[in-house]
Amino acid sequence: MKSNMVNERARLYHNINVIGFVIVDMIEYLDTHPYDKEAIEYLNHYLALKHQAMAEYAEKYGPLSIGNVPDTDCNEWKWATQPMPWEGGF
Amino acid sequence: MQNFSKNYNQPEYVDQYPIAMAYVPWQQQATVFEDLNAAFYAGTIFPELEKPFVGRRCVK
Repeated sequence: MKSNMVNERARLYHNINVIGFVIVDMIEYLDTHPYDKEAIEYLNHYLALKHQAMAEYAEKYGPLSIGNVPDTDCNEWKWATQPMPWEGGF
Repeated sequence: MQNFSKNYNQPEYVDQYPIAMAYVPWQQQATVFEDLNAAFYAGTIFPELEKPFVGRRCVK
């Protein structure tokens, strides 16, 4: 069970990184094409997707950003107790 | 006051550019890769910006 839980976590984390990258790339495109409505819709779609993926990751494993702390269970300050990147966390 | 909001990137303005300055044509196409995971490894989501280095190491 442990290995596929780690794979699931790594997969979700990878997806968050990919979505984050797509967002950054589209932001740069919009900087030079500020009136491209289609691009804005595309960006909004992926912003929502990232928001949802981050919340899911926080619920399952721990907050990746302080904004996701509300998505974690309240009786533990996971922000500090979850493993650090050098301890195998992300 | 020069109107900076005008897009000087259109080809017809080229003759108005001051000399000895570098110019980079702006991206036009807004087509996006279907497979975003591949785009992630390609380093861009825009096909027209994917320019993989295809040269060789300097061979003596």
